[in-house]
Amino acid sequence: MATSYDVVIIGAGTGGYVAAIRCAQLGMRVAVVEKQKALGGTCLIWGCIPTKALLEHAHALKVIRDAKEWGVTVPAATPVVDMNQVHARKDRIVNGLTRGVEFLFKKNKIDWIKGRARLAGNGKVEVTDGDRQTLDAKEIIIATGSSARSVPGIEIDRRRIITSDDAIGLKEIPKSLLIMGSGAVGVEFASIYRRFGSEVTIIELLPRLVPFEDEAISAELEKSFRRQGIKSLTATKVTRASAGANDVEIEAHTPDGKSQKLTAELLLVATGRGPVTGGLGAEELGVQMERGYIKVDELYRTSVPNVSAIGDVITLGDTPHPQLAHVSSAEGILVAERLAGQEVRPINYNHVPNCTYCDPEIGSVGLTEAKARQRGYDVRVGSFPYGVLGRAKMAGETEGFVKIVADKKYDEILGVHMIGPRSTELVAEAVLALRLECTVEELVKTIHAHPTFSEAIGEAAHATHGAAIHL
Amino acid sequence: MPTPVVMPQMGESIAEGTIVRWIKKVGENVERDEPLFEISTDKVDAEIPSPVAGVLTDIKVKEGETVAVNSVVAEIGQANEVREARAAEAGAGGPGPAAPKKQQPDGQSTSAPTPADKTVAAVAAEQPSDNGRRRSSPLVRRIAKEHNVDVAQIAGSGIGGRVTKHDILGYIERGGERGPQVRTPGVGEPGKAEPARAARSAQVRPTGADRIEKLSVMRKKIADHMVLSKRTSAHVHSVFHVNFSTIEKLRQQKRAEYEQAGVKLTYMAFIARVVVEALHRHPILNASIDGDNIVYKKDINLGIAVALEDGLIVPVIRNADEKNVLGLSRAIVDVAERARTKRLNPDEVHGGTFTITNPGQFGAQFGMPIINQPQVAILGVGTIEKRPVVIDDAIGIRTMAYLTLGYDHRLVDGAVADEFMADVKQHLECFDANDC
Repeated sequence: MATSYDVVIIGAGTGGYVAAIRCAQLGMRVAVVEKQKALGGTCLIWGCIPTKALLEHAHALKVIRDAKEWGVTVPAATPVVDMNQVHARKDRIVNGLTRGVEFLFKKNKIDWIKGRARLAGNGKVEVTDGDRQTLDAKEIIIATGSSARSVPGIEIDRRRIITSDDAIGLKEIPKSLLIMGSGAVGVEFASIYRRFGSEVTIIELLPRLVPFEDEAISAELEKSFRRQGIKSLTATKVTRASAGANDVEIEAHTPDGKSQKLTAELLLVATGRGPVTGGLGAEELGVQMERGYIKVDELYRTSVPNVSAIGDVITLGDTPHPQLAHVSSAEGILVAERLAGQEVRPINYNHVPNCTYCDPEIGSVGLTEAKARQRGYDVRVGSFPYGVLGRAKMAGETEGFVKIVADKKYDEILGVHMIGPRSTELVAEAVLALRLECTVEELVKTIHAHPTFSEAIGEAAHATHGAAIHL
Repeated sequence: MPTPVVMPQMGESIAEGTIVRWIKKVGENVERDEPLFEISTDKVDAEIPSPVAGVLTDIKVKEGETVAVNSVVAEIGQANEVREARAAEAGAGGPGPAAPKKQQPDGQSTSAPTPADKTVAAVAAEQPSDNGRRRSSPLVRRIAKEHNVDVAQIAGSGIGGRVTKHDILGYIERGGERGPQVRTPGVGEPGKAEPARAARSAQVRPTGADRIEKLSVMRKKIADHMVLSKRTSAHVHSVFHVNFSTIEKLRQQKRAEYEQAGVKLTYMAFIARVVVEALHRHPILNASIDGDNIVYKKDINLGIAVALEDGLIVPVIRNADEKNVLGLSRAIVDVAERARTKRLNPDEVHGGTFTITNPGQFGAQFGMPIINQPQVAILGVGTIEKRPVVIDDAIGIRTMAYLTLGYDHRLVDGAVADEFMADVKQHLECFDANDC
């Protein structure tokens, strides 16, 4: 195995492996150093893929429980979930996908070097444990990603106090589950385990669930969670958690100033993710850092020449950087093309879709109504509930709506926020609309097929211009 | 059964027409081929004759409205078929057939924006793209319209040079905006789409005493067309002093002969004859620019500018090089006469490859004409009169005129233009009597 490469990429997550493939496609010799036993990183192994697999199981259970409604006869009185089978299926999917990445590496002649990487300076990357060696690289891309992070005072013991890494593999369904944090991870596990039968309480420090979504989305989700029996404690701070033999007890400060004790079988800490840079030697090399993240410019160059960084491990300074698989991939492709000497343009983070796979699911892109007002736009909004649509009634999924935030002056679409069935798919149209600088009028004139959930987008556009047709 | 009257197809490229005036009122008798109504299309205004004799029983399209070709606009039948309700409505707007042409119908000054205005606005909005297409977005086009900005003037930073919102807002901020802005129309109020930009450059604040009259369809089109031309071409003008004494002599000699043939022999016919010949020798002046290409026109189709009471039209004499002086004389008189009486066929006002205009007929020494797009040159003829000139160190009296060539410096350089003009001058001054 040669030790000299055009590009050495550290980390084989969705940022790193996609960057590797693109580099190889553009004619570079590429190696990827990965310390895990499989390729694919957080997304494939602990994140997007396993959680969404579990959500599909939860959805299947929901449909089977409603068998009577669908006219289907199910023998058992109460359908229950067999977690062994659930994990087997989920793991089969994950393994299939990680092996798919291995296949892509072979196809593109990318060397997968197993071990931990350390930046040794002068384009050298030292691989410790695993395939120990020193690699020579003309260019280095750091794509080490992130890991679940707790908050001060709460210690993860991976037994009673767990993170999403553990939550995807629970052998038994907990009777009760406390979840700290109502970002994507928190609300997705709330949906999964509530559907599986757990008593779920979700605790959010900020005044509403999914606090970075549009306020209307938060309100709709809280309403739906209430209906499903998920307790939401917003504007509530967890001050202490102590694990016992069979349960965990927490102390929470509620907005009325009182302190409250809560007990459950498990506490899932879903308060965020922090950068993975341990042992990398970035700081020693002189790479500029900020709050533990690697600081990069808009084309993902670090402060050290020939060292780039992408994905969850980076910060762009003023621009908030979303920790999302599709963002990392886009950044990886951009860096690969920049290294190949192609003309590249900075990514517009206002055009990044956010998909949250709770039930009902959320898809959003662009500015929320409040943000648009903050930025001084003369805002007008329009929304349309899915429930009116024939397609939604057929599917028995009538929750939620599509909301469009637009600028009155030029009719620009500033943001589109959806909660309800297929929202994570439907958001694609909105992303394209923003990307192409669509006006609401263009969306009004776009024909949406009938009967589909996408009709809600066309109708929301009509609503933004005055009145929806079917309302 | 009443006979339907339809909006005629006035040329292959014309999709709709605006009814400017009903010459006949409901209930009036009309002969076959008698003018029934007046229309204005993209290309030309025309009086439309009645297809049959009878009584105008129903008017379906009011003055000022625009409809697609072949739409039924009226019905002609028997006197007892007259529809009274509509008759009252239509009668209010229409002056009788004897009224002077082009007078604004009363109906128009009071009615709010008419469909006709929309048509014009749509044409105007599309125009910047004729003149250097540039990729943009729906949002950019809307901002451009509102700020009166030509997107083609903006450097695009997007993929494939696409002009983005960021680009156009930056451009406007740097002062790229053209002139002060008139009232901005609200989004989602299509009826209030911004009218032709050309005609609305600086803010006007009328006082109570000022008289306000709507721009005619023709006026708006001229305005658009002229501004478009100024923006498109790099105009340069070259003026030559030409001795018309030879031609003046020939005119006197041949006058009787031509009058027998029923034609008045004008200077214009001579000039046209010499110009088409010179265009053969200088084809670059009978050309157009199409993107990165020069299109040398095979035919020489000569446009002759004709002044109308409230406007101007340029009928085209096709294959003008195939006509001699007599033929050109006839053709010029014919199109000028029909232009003034609105009997031009729309196909006769487009496809010109070179234009002659005659500011001299009103006494101008010379004019600085604007090129008729997409042509690249226009000849202006100044007043033809006797002037003292120096001939071999003596002062003599000769029939003289200034000819001005307005040309597009994008395609035509000064030397080329002046060679052409020297050619024209020489052939006018030594006009061969046998050619006449």
